[in-house]
Amino acid sequence: MSNSVISVIGRFLEEYTTTTPNKLKVVDSYLFYILLTGALQFLYCLLVGTFPFNSFLSGFISCVGAFILGVCLRIQINPQNKGDFLSISSERAFADFLFAHTVLHLVVMNFIG
Amino acid sequence: MDRSRLFGLFLLSLALAGAQALTPAHYLSLSDVARLQNFLSQQFTDLDSAYYSVVGLTKLGATVPDHEGVCQFLKSQLDPSNIDSLFFAAETSQAISGCEIPVSNETRDLLLAAVSEDSTMTQIHRAVSALSSLGLPLASQEVVGALTGRINKEDNVMAITSALQTAARLPQQAELGGILEEIEDLTARLDDLGGIYLQFEEGLEATALFVTAAYSLSDHVDMEPPLKEDQVIQLVNSIFSKKSWDSLAEAFSVASAAAALSNNRFHVPVIVGATGPATVSHSQPTLQLLVTDVMSQPLALASVLLESAYAVASKSIILSQAPFTLNDGVFELNFMSSKPASGYYQFTVAVTGDTRLVGNHVELKVKVSTEVSVTNMELSVVDKDQSIGTKTTRVEYPSKGKSSFTADSHQNFAMAFHLVDVNTGVELVPHQTFVKLHNQKTGQEVVFVAEPDSKKLYKFELDTAERKSEFNSISGTYSLHLIVGDATLENPILWNVADVVLKFVDEEAPVAIQPKTLYVPKPEIQHLFREPEKKPPTVVSNTFTALILSPLLLLLILWLKLGANVSNFTFTPSTILFHVGHAALLGLMYVYWTRLNMFQTLKYLAIIGSVTFLAGNRMLAQKAVKRIEKK
Repeated sequence: MSNSVISVIGRFLEEYTTTTPNKLKVVDSYLFYILLTGALQFLYCLLVGTFPFNSFLSGFISCVGAFILGVCLRIQINPQNKGDFLSISSERAFADFLFAHTVLHLVVMNFIG
Repeated sequence: MDRSRLFGLFLLSLALAGAQALTPAHYLSLSDVARLQNFLSQQFTDLDSAYYSVVGLTKLGATVPDHEGVCQFLKSQLDPSNIDSLFFAAETSQAISGCEIPVSNETRDLLLAAVSEDSTMTQIHRAVSALSSLGLPLASQEVVGALTGRINKEDNVMAITSALQTAARLPQQAELGGILEEIEDLTARLDDLGGIYLQFEEGLEATALFVTAAYSLSDHVDMEPPLKEDQVIQLVNSIFSKKSWDSLAEAFSVASAAAALSNNRFHVPVIVGATGPATVSHSQPTLQLLVTDVMSQPLALASVLLESAYAVASKSIILSQAPFTLNDGVFELNFMSSKPASGYYQFTVAVTGDTRLVGNHVELKVKVSTEVSVTNMELSVVDKDQSIGTKTTRVEYPSKGKSSFTADSHQNFAMAFHLVDVNTGVELVPHQTFVKLHNQKTGQEVVFVAEPDSKKLYKFELDTAERKSEFNSISGTYSLHLIVGDATLENPILWNVADVVLKFVDEEAPVAIQPKTLYVPKPEIQHLFREPEKKPPTVVSNTFTALILSPLLLLLILWLKLGANVSNFTFTPSTILFHVGHAALLGLMYVYWTRLNMFQTLKYLAIIGSVTFLAGNRMLAQKAVKRIEKK
């Protein structure tokens, strides 16, 4: 049982490292970083308390928002999805990503108190 | 045997008292009669005022001065063609002596013609009265017919009263039965006010004239008027309750009613009253009663019997069936001979001797008063722990104790005395027995109640330590007063018994009461911000800050491993501008967090953002061109 799980995971990692373009790996590592940051903030909230609640919220929301934006970027620049996003080049996707980030951080800064 | 008879008598007297509770509350006192006479003795202005004045005074039993002058006045004012004028003149001339009103044949015919059903009731009454007063013959059958006819047409109180008065002027043989019945009808129209007053709503004059007419007609035909005893008393109350009269006619009607009620063949209301206050004592042992009619004239034929006298407090009968003796118009009874204790007594008095008397069972409240004296006054200062024998000093009333007494906080000051009836030697318990301590310096007074024990010995003890608050802890010389008072005591006592020096332990200066200053500013109300919650220790937060930043490091490591690089970076102006603008945007975010507000931020954002957008657009377009070229 555990063998099969391990073999499945090993197979998945192997597939990932070999078939995923390098660009996407960069985005994936960014997403991983965002995920970890959000998880750590949540852990802090569980362990210590929500005291500056607006700060916690803005921090956590910025993580969630950034993660979602990152996922969108990844979907749009994935060569496998090229057929779905014909009119959107990867540069255009990156520009959208940056613009959305600017708006998101305006909100987050507004909220941070 | 004797006791049961007494008890039976007591019950009987109580029952009688219940049944005869209503006694006249209003009557004409001697001063009222004098005022009424004075009111009636006015200068005449015309014939009716002469009539009201002269006849009214005659009814009161007063003498009319100057008969000659009155007669001259009547003759000069008389109008032989006017029935009213004839009536007033004829009636007035009857009341005075030696005054003849000349009558002509025309006058007689005029008067006789007025006696018909077509005249008003007043005209008939006046014509008949004038005829009768002038001594002229009249046909009584005709008058009765006219009256009966008029009564059916004029069904009001004044008209029927006039009919009664007219009937009284007719010969006794006339058929008066029908008119006599009108008395009962009118009685039924009287309004009862609270069971005390009985009157016509037409007013005092109508009521008084009705009473006069009813009794004069009843006397005339010798039949008792259909009035109950209570009704007679209620009529008396309503007629004599008004003590100031509006008009001569009203005063005349009251005088007529008073005469009718004090002198008729059937009902004479009795007024029983004590001379002065109803009080007996050892110096004034007799109770004196005046028994009069409504005009305060003594009823000479009456005899007065005390049916019972019982003490209000104990309800025990002291005396019963004791006759009063008539002495110079006053009925007297020596009540003190039955040795009553001081207090209030309820007397039930019956007036007899005449069957006409109305309201002849009277309840009286009589006070028996006495004199009190203080005996066995003993003053002492008692040590609380009883270590020293007490020294008792006697003080004789009414002298003041020679030496003053001193009591400190370890001692009690005590006084004991008896209150004794001077006349009988019996111990008394008056209503009010007070001990007053009066500070001679500050004028402060402290009053205590002295209470008797079961042997009627009064004791008063002052615990100086316990009572100091009542004295405000002010030591000093106090004069000790004894106050004895009661309604039944003739000599209330205020006796300065002695001087007492009181010493309190912790003497405080009297605290001056500081007036509250109302007009000072209240303390300012400060806004309270919410208490910040407790912050976690700095170590924890710093640790987590580091923890949260650590994935950034991981990201950089990952990127390095993946071989990410900046080889595509070109130093074209648009690229530099884009990166600088992007960094400026991030810086702006930080500044917004620390100091700017939203509007300022948006302004800067618009500037930097547009520049960055243009530069970015250009840079990415170049990249895209390069990428496509590569392919």
